[in-house]
Amino acid sequence: MNRLVRVSRRRFLQTSALGAVAATIGAPSVLRAQGAPVKLGVLHPVSGALSYSGQQGRLGAVLAIEEINAGGGIKALRGARIEAVLGDAQSTPEGGSAEVEKMNSAGVAAIVGGYGSSICLAASQTAARYDLPYMVDVGVVDAIVNRGLKNTFRFGPGFGVIAKTALDNLVTINEQVGKTAKTVMIVHEDSAFGSGLAKLLNTQLPDRGFQVLETIPHPTPTRDFNNVVLKIRAQNPDLVIPANYYNEYVLLARTMQQQRVRPKGIYSVLGGAASSYKFVKEFPEAAQYIMDCNHWFDPRNPKSAALKKKVEDKGEFYTYEVFMNYSCVLLIADAIERAAGADRPKIIAALEGSTFAGHVMPYGPTKFVNGQNQGAAPVNTQVIGNDIQVIFPAAFASAKAVFPMPRA
Amino acid sequence: MKGWAPIGLTVAALAAVPLFTSSNVVLNFLVMALLIALVGQGWNLLGGYGGQYSFGHSAFFGTGAYVTAILQMRYGVNAWVGFCIGIAAGALVGAAIGALSFRSGLKGSYFALVTLAFAEVLRIVASVAPVTGAGVGTLIKLDLRPEVFQFQSRAPFYWIILGLVAVSLILVRLIEGSRFGAYLVAVRENEDAAAALGVDAMRVKLGAMTISAAITAAGGGFYAQYFLFVDAGIAYGPWISVEALLAPIIGGIGTVFGPLLGALVVKTLGELTKLVTGDAPGLDLVIYGGVLVLVIAFAPRGIAGLIADLRGFFKPSLAAAKPNPDRGHG
Repeated sequence: MNRLVRVSRRRFLQTSALGAVAATIGAPSVLRAQGAPVKLGVLHPVSGALSYSGQQGRLGAVLAIEEINAGGGIKALRGARIEAVLGDAQSTPEGGSAEVEKMNSAGVAAIVGGYGSSICLAASQTAARYDLPYMVDVGVVDAIVNRGLKNTFRFGPGFGVIAKTALDNLVTINEQVGKTAKTVMIVHEDSAFGSGLAKLLNTQLPDRGFQVLETIPHPTPTRDFNNVVLKIRAQNPDLVIPANYYNEYVLLARTMQQQRVRPKGIYSVLGGAASSYKFVKEFPEAAQYIMDCNHWFDPRNPKSAALKKKVEDKGEFYTYEVFMNYSCVLLIADAIERAAGADRPKIIAALEGSTFAGHVMPYGPTKFVNGQNQGAAPVNTQVIGNDIQVIFPAAFASAKAVFPMPRA
Repeated sequence: MKGWAPIGLTVAALAAVPLFTSSNVVLNFLVMALLIALVGQGWNLLGGYGGQYSFGHSAFFGTGAYVTAILQMRYGVNAWVGFCIGIAAGALVGAAIGALSFRSGLKGSYFALVTLAFAEVLRIVASVAPVTGAGVGTLIKLDLRPEVFQFQSRAPFYWIILGLVAVSLILVRLIEGSRFGAYLVAVRENEDAAAALGVDAMRVKLGAMTISAAITAAGGGFYAQYFLFVDAGIAYGPWISVEALLAPIIGGIGTVFGPLLGALVVKTLGELTKLVTGDAPGLDLVIYGGVLVLVIAFAPRGIAGLIADLRGFFKPSLAAAKPNPDRGHG
C-alpha cells in the first residue's frame, strides 16, 4: 500500500510537472481549439401569408450554416461554429422588427433574411439602430438600399435591374418571332414589391412598343382569381405579365387553365411560382411554357448542382429562396472570416469590400456599392416539358424560348 | 376621488419599467402592447360604452399613420406637428363616417359592416393613390433626433405611448363620469328609450365616434414614427381592426381598464406561446387561438368581468353593493 502510494505520489509529481509544462505550451492551444460560436440571425416569415417562401429561405440558410460548421467553422476564429438564431417575422413588418430586437439582445453578429420587401424595410431599419449588419436575401424594392443605411446590404438584384433585364429579353424574344405580341395585361400583388414593379413596367412597356391594356392589383393573400381571369379573357391581351407571390401565382395560372384563357405568352417578372420546381411538379399543365424573369442559380456551377441534390434528397424543392439564402449566409460567413471576429463595424467594412465568389448565383464576385451587389441580375427561364430551362442569358441558356405558346 | 387612484398607480408602475430594464426586447414588446391598448381604448369608447361595434377602426388608425408620414415626407412638416394633424384628420374621418352611417340609421351588424367597407375602400384607395406612395408605401427617413419624433433608445417611445394610454384612460374615466357618458350608456342600453327621454342619440354617437377615432388615429401616428414605414396593408388592413376589438373584448368591454388588461394579456400570451413552441413555425399561433377560445368561453365578460366574478365569489356582499367592477378597487 505504502509503496503504491509513494509510487503514485512520484507519478503524481511527474504528471503534474508534465501538466505544468503542457499548461504553458500545449493547453492554450487545447483551450483555444475552438473559438466561441458566432451567432447569426436567420429571419424569415415562416408563418402567415408568406410562410412557404419563409420556410424555404430558412432551409437554405440552415443548410449553409451546417455546411460551414461541417467544414471546420470560421477559420480565423479557430474554427468557431456558426450558431443560427432563428426568427419568425410572421409575414408582418412589425413582426420582423420585434425579431431583430430579440436577435440583437441575443448578441448576433449579423442578420440574414427578411424575404418580403416591407419586412426587409422595417427589419433593416431596426438593425441600423444597433449598427447590426443586415443582409437582405430577396426583398427587391430599391428603397431598401437607397436609404443610405450603412448596415444594409443586398446580395440579389433590385427591381430596377430586374425590370430592365426582363424587358430587354422580352423585346428580343418578341423580335425573333416578328413582333407578334403587342398588347399586355399586368396582374400584380398590391404591396411594395408588386406595385413598385407594376409602376416600372407601366412606364417602360410603352417605350418598347407594347400597349398596356390594363393593370390589375390584388392583395396577398387572394383566394379567388375568377374575376381577374374573366377580365383577361374580355381584354384578350397577347401577353399576361404576373408579378406576385407563390400561392397567388399558382392560383392565377390554374384559373387561367380552367377558364381556357391562353394568351400568346405568360411572361412573369418575379412570378412567385413561375420558376418553381414545386409548381412544375404539382401542376405541370398550368405551368407549361410559362416564362419568368427571376432569381436563378448558376447551372454551370457544380456547387449549385450539389446543393440542388441535397435539397431534393430532403424531399424539398430547390426554389429561389433556398439558393439565395444559402448564398447570403456563405457571403456573411466570408465577411466574418475576413473581419476575424463578430465585431459589427468590422463585418460591415468586410462586406463593403467583399469580392466573394463562392456562392451559387451567376453574379460573379460580389461588389457592393451603397449596399447593392453590382453583379446581381435575374435570369430568364421557361417551363418546357417537366423541367425549367434557362432561355437567357445566352452564356448559359439550356433551351430556346418557345414563343408564342403552342395551342393546346 | 376613488376612481382615479388605479389609473395613477397603474401608469406610475408602468412608467417605472424602463428604470429596471434596459432590454429593448422587453420595451419593444410593451410598446406594441400599449399601442394595442391605445387603439383598443379608442374602440372601447365607441363599442364598449356606446354599443356601436365597429369592424373598421383601421380607417382611423391608417389615417393617423398616413397623415403623419405624408406631411413629413412630402410637405416637410415637423413630425410632432404632423402627428397632431394626423389625430385631427383621424377624428375628421371618424366624424364623416359616423355622420354618414348614423344619419342613415345603421345599427348593430349593419354599422359593423359599413365601417368594414369604409376601411376597405380606404385601403384600396391608399394602395393606388400616388400621394400615399401607392402600393410601395411611404417611408419616413431614419433621423434619430427627438425634434423629429425619433429616438435612439426605445425608452422615450415607451414613455410617449404610455402617456397617450394614460390620456386615453383619463379621458374615458372622465367621460364615464360625465353627463355625456351617461347618455352614451343610455343609447347603448336602449336607443329608443334614451331618445324618448330627450337624449340626442345621433349627436351622442357622433361625439363618441369622433373621440374614438382621434384616440385610434394617435395610435396610427405613433406606429408610423415607431416603424417609419406605412403601406396600405399596414395602415388600413384588417389586422389593426381585429386587434382593436380583441383587446377590449378579452380585457372587459365597456370598462376603463379593459383594453389595457386585454392588450397586455393577449400580447404576453402571444410571446409565451412563442417561447413554449420554440422554432416550430405557426404552432404558437395555434395555441394562442386555442387559449383565446377558452378565455371567451369561460370569461365572456373579459378579464375585468372575471375579476368581478371572483370577487363576488369570495365577498358576495361587496360585489352586490358595487356592481361596477371598475369602481370597486383602489
